[in-house]
Amino acid sequence: MASLPKRIIKETERLVTDPVPGITAEPHDDNLRYFKVTIEGPAGSPYENGLFNLELYLPDDYPMEAPKVRFLTKIYHPNIDRLGRICLDILKTNWSPALQIRTVLLSVQALLASPNPNDPLANDVAEDWIKNEQGAKAKAKEWTALYAKK
Amino acid sequence: MTDPGTPKEDRKRFFKDELESSESQIPSLAQRLDNSKSFLFSENIKPEDKGSSLFVPSQMDIVEFEKGLKDIMPDISDEMCKKLYKKFENDTKPVASAVEYYFDHNKSLTRESKKDTEIIDLSDDSYDDVNSSSVSYSNHMDSDPPIHNDSHPRLTFQSLFSQKRDEIKKRRTRTVNERIAKRRKSSVLWKKFLGSMQVTAMATRPTIRPLKYGSVLKLHVTGSKNLSPSKIYDSKGKRKVSMAQLVKLRDSIQDREIGRIPEDIAQILYPLIDESGVSFEVTLVYSGEKRLSIGDSFIIQLDCFLTSDLFEEEPVSSQPDSTSLKQSGWEMSTKAISETQEEVANKYKRVGLLALFNKLRIKEVTDETKALENMNNSQPDIVDLEDDDTFENIVTDNIEEEDINHTDTMDLNQLQNFYSVAQSLEALKNLPETTPSEEVMKLNLRRYQKQGLTWMLRREGEFSKAASSEEVTAPDAMMNPLWKQFIWPKDMSWVSERESSVPKSDDENIFFYANLHTGEFSMEKPILVTAMKGGILSDEMGLGKTISTLSLILTVPQDSSVETKDLFEKEVPEMPQSLSKNSQKPYASKTTLIVVPMSLLHQWHSEFEKSCGDKNLHAEIYYGGNVSNLKVHLTKSKNPPAVLITTYGIIQNEWTKLAKTLGPEMDLSLTTGLFSVSFYRIVLDEGHIIRNRQTITSKAVMQLSGKCRWVLTGTPIINRLDDMYSLVKFLNLEPWSQIGFWKQFVSIPFENKHFKEAFDVVNSILEPVFLRRTKLMKDVDGKPLVNLPPKEVIVERLKFNEDQDIIYKQLLNRAEDSVKLGLARGDLLKKYSTILVNILRLRQVCCDVRLLGSQDENDEDLSHNNSMLNSQIDISSLLKNNEAGAKPNGFSEKELENAIESLNEKYPRIDDKSSFECSICTTEPIDLNEMLFTECEHPFCKGCLLEYCDYQHMKNLDMKCPLCRHEISKDRLLTLKKNNDGSYEPGHFNTKSRSSKIVALANHLQQLQDSSPGEQVVVFSQFSSFLDILENELGEIFPSKTTKIYKFDGRLSLKDRSAVLKDFQIKIPGMQKILLLSLKAGGVGLNLTSASYAFMMDPWWSPSMEDQAIDRIHRIGQVNNVKVTRFIMENSIEEKMLQIQERKRTIGEAMDADEDDRRKRRIDEIKMLFE
Repeated sequence: MASLPKRIIKETERLVTDPVPGITAEPHDDNLRYFKVTIEGPAGSPYENGLFNLELYLPDDYPMEAPKVRFLTKIYHPNIDRLGRICLDILKTNWSPALQIRTVLLSVQALLASPNPNDPLANDVAEDWIKNEQGAKAKAKEWTALYAKK
Repeated sequence: MTDPGTPKEDRKRFFKDELESSESQIPSLAQRLDNSKSFLFSENIKPEDKGSSLFVPSQMDIVEFEKGLKDIMPDISDEMCKKLYKKFENDTKPVASAVEYYFDHNKSLTRESKKDTEIIDLSDDSYDDVNSSSVSYSNHMDSDPPIHNDSHPRLTFQSLFSQKRDEIKKRRTRTVNERIAKRRKSSVLWKKFLGSMQVTAMATRPTIRPLKYGSVLKLHVTGSKNLSPSKIYDSKGKRKVSMAQLVKLRDSIQDREIGRIPEDIAQILYPLIDESGVSFEVTLVYSGEKRLSIGDSFIIQLDCFLTSDLFEEEPVSSQPDSTSLKQSGWEMSTKAISETQEEVANKYKRVGLLALFNKLRIKEVTDETKALENMNNSQPDIVDLEDDDTFENIVTDNIEEEDINHTDTMDLNQLQNFYSVAQSLEALKNLPETTPSEEVMKLNLRRYQKQGLTWMLRREGEFSKAASSEEVTAPDAMMNPLWKQFIWPKDMSWVSERESSVPKSDDENIFFYANLHTGEFSMEKPILVTAMKGGILSDEMGLGKTISTLSLILTVPQDSSVETKDLFEKEVPEMPQSLSKNSQKPYASKTTLIVVPMSLLHQWHSEFEKSCGDKNLHAEIYYGGNVSNLKVHLTKSKNPPAVLITTYGIIQNEWTKLAKTLGPEMDLSLTTGLFSVSFYRIVLDEGHIIRNRQTITSKAVMQLSGKCRWVLTGTPIINRLDDMYSLVKFLNLEPWSQIGFWKQFVSIPFENKHFKEAFDVVNSILEPVFLRRTKLMKDVDGKPLVNLPPKEVIVERLKFNEDQDIIYKQLLNRAEDSVKLGLARGDLLKKYSTILVNILRLRQVCCDVRLLGSQDENDEDLSHNNSMLNSQIDISSLLKNNEAGAKPNGFSEKELENAIESLNEKYPRIDDKSSFECSICTTEPIDLNEMLFTECEHPFCKGCLLEYCDYQHMKNLDMKCPLCRHEISKDRLLTLKKNNDGSYEPGHFNTKSRSSKIVALANHLQQLQDSSPGEQVVVFSQFSSFLDILENELGEIFPSKTTKIYKFDGRLSLKDRSAVLKDFQIKIPGMQKILLLSLKAGGVGLNLTSASYAFMMDPWWSPSMEDQAIDRIHRIGQVNNVKVTRFIMENSIEEKMLQIQERKRTIGEAMDADEDDRRKRRIDEIKMLFE
């Protein structure tokens, strides 16, 4: 395996020594570009008290290329589909090499706090969210309790 | 078996004669042979003349004749022309016959013309006689002249007979002139059984009674025998007519056609039937019990004999007389040679003979003793074609072979065959090993190198020094390789089987010899005398040709045959090229001259120092006149250098000077330089340099005198088979060093696409003097000769950066237009150089746009004074052209000022901020030399930001500041410039972004540094200006404390070269050493095994050139895995070049027979490039 760029090593170190509250990210033993990530559901959101597992992978071209992030835990969210894929601009077109793992994960956490049903990835969820926000949030809460138990 | 059918008028008339003659003829073979010895008999069997008087197809007038003759022999006198004309006036091919005759009898002709006119008359006479009789094939064998008369009614047999008898008497008295007579009227003194076959024939005429078992038949060629070959064969050598229609069976008594033989047999027989050298006897062996109807088949036995005639054609000389060839103007005539009708006829005779040999299963004898044993034990069978499957195979094989030979392609396999046949593996394995004594040779040789030493010693005739094996054959007794040895089969012919009384012909000759290339036959062993000492050592690259050669030199440093001073005057070896002028050159009997390319000069010297254990021997470099009088130095001084190393350049220089000062009649013995002495030994390293004999270098090298001559080359053939000729010429390998011979046997067959033929000849030429081992060969123990670590070659495809992309597209359009135009107008050839320049530009852009306008020093097809080449291309104008109207690039002056100002405002003490962090690589602080600011005043590392820009460009994404997403542009970046006082100030960052290849190379080097610092790396490019750019760029990218960059190209002086190489080879921990190597200057010979990584920055047309380069590091001494990365720009001309390389690898590069072909092929390639 090609040697790890200095930046990745540096980021990893910082994630461990100076973790973001509510977020953990640990590199896999066999592949230092693959991270096991957990995000706590933000307080005040339907995901509160949930602990969501994610995976994060740094492609070879990182940081020119955005990291690949995916929810492993089932979640009811208009911007996250059934496969756990996340619709977040900084992971796609708005990626900038100045962004880091830490910032990406913060953005994901923020996305949980404020879902954006107008730019949906999971259409059925988004529709539900727009028509009946309360019902949707209740369902999200229900799922959180069901799948993302701490 | 008389046939009362309807005999023709004239036949009837001579019926009696026929009967008489056939009676008298039948009795016994002995008698027949006796008859055949008579000169009478001989009158009838001249193949050239048959039936000419009846069919004179081409009567030339004397003017035409003379012209034709003088074309071939410019010196011939008018008088002689007339005489020859008279003689051959009625011949079918007067000029050819005359020339042949003239060569054979040159001297006697002149003599005759003065004294002995009678003989001439006589032979003229006999010519007429023969011409006047239409000859059916079997006549000469059966010696029944009367049969001729059926087509020549006015002469009675009796008169003819007596007339001739008188002549014969006359002639017998003149033994002096017998040779002439023999040539013209060759007589069959004997015939020897060659083989028999049973053939099923088909009756074409009904017979009244069943044919009798054992009745004698004969072959007859119907009247159209005089068809010129061109009527029978079309231009491609395919038969137009069915041979079975031409070759008929006749019964011998009535001489009427009774049947025909199968087409395949007829094809073989047809060209041979009237050939006096071959004779056939046909006997009926089975026809059933009833009479034959048309279409019935019957079986005949066809006995084939070779007659003395075949063996007498030309006295067999192993070394054709080259001087006479020269006199005859051969050299000139061959230049314009084309196949004459006679040659075509000869060719088919040869093919016929070959086919006959095949059919009769006459096989070449390779082991004499075995063959002799077998002969006594086994009974050769009559070839029965009925149940003979192999026969079919043979025929079809032949046809296929023929077909293959006529197709235009020669694949790589054939080239490989050439190499593999050139040296038989078995013989190689069995070579004993000679170990040079440690006193003289300090290095240990590998086993195959020891074998090589044995071979080389043998080639020099130093048998005492070479290790011997049991079967050391005297080298002198070697058979001429063009000849094959055959064994006379036991006589199984009809007559000898039936009549035991027939005395077996003398048994003294067990073998006979045939040259199937020329159709010559001999009873005596054709001995090839190779007086030539030396040879071609053509081991594959990296097998240690240098060491092998040095071990030879050290083992035999001087000519042992020269003990005293008196001797050496006599020992001066013959130098055919300069025989008259230079025979008196003093002999430097203690010196070996080694000629090497300049880049290898010091390598050779140091190898010598390393290996030489004898303190008395030393090597000197002869370079740029450091020795004032070489002649005295080498021949008079007490301890002359054992090895004198010089370069091709020096030789060429010296020669050019001599040619200028001394003129054409120079006397080289008066000079003092390289050409003034005759060396004991000359070694040409990378000998393929002289492959083009038109070059001055090649001409000059030919003039060197030396007793032993060696050529070292891993690639004896670069472009065409003729490359070999120069080597052969340098070696003085008679007779092939005569261009005439070479052309005749190699070039012409090759140009006519008879690749196999040409290769066969080259193989046999080379076999004794050529040693080639490849890395894949196994030694006696079955181990590979060389165990090299694996080599990995990776093609890395890259994308253009922005500038490159823009410029490439523009240049591509230009180039395509000119090709299209050329194709449309059909003058692509004229535009050749323009197109090449265009292609060059494209290739340059692939490397770096800054290369545009520089010259490609390695492209031999481009003349350097080409005006177009020298015209500079304005890169910025190209860029501007494209972007006119598009987004404006770069800052205007005002904008730049503003930007700098605002940057200074934002960071008042810009060179103090040690805390700038690059948000891309998270490095902090950023090295001030490496800092870039975006327009939005965000700092980044230069590398990071540019990589980002290139990446975005590649992905067709917008370029935005990574930090604030403000739109940025590579042309609108600011950098810090260092002032003289060490302070920094912002300035415009030059937009010249690094080319993709440089970026990729830098990445690789960086990775390599990270994973294993202290590696040595070789970087190849064919553009030395690219090497310059690389030197600068890499120097900027990598700090000098971890990276050392060396550059080696043609501009480097000799002294620096060795210094650079020496320094590069030293490993320093933690220091990455990069050698930038020009493909041309460093592609051959160098030994760079301390490096195990190589990068090929650009592809070259010929893959072998790249292989050569890679072999600089992948050779003996390399202990690590070798990794080679080749950079190729995606969707560019470079990818097409890869395809062309692939093509070259498969069809072989030896294809190009001549310059025209080469050009045409390159045009094909050009088309391929722009598809």
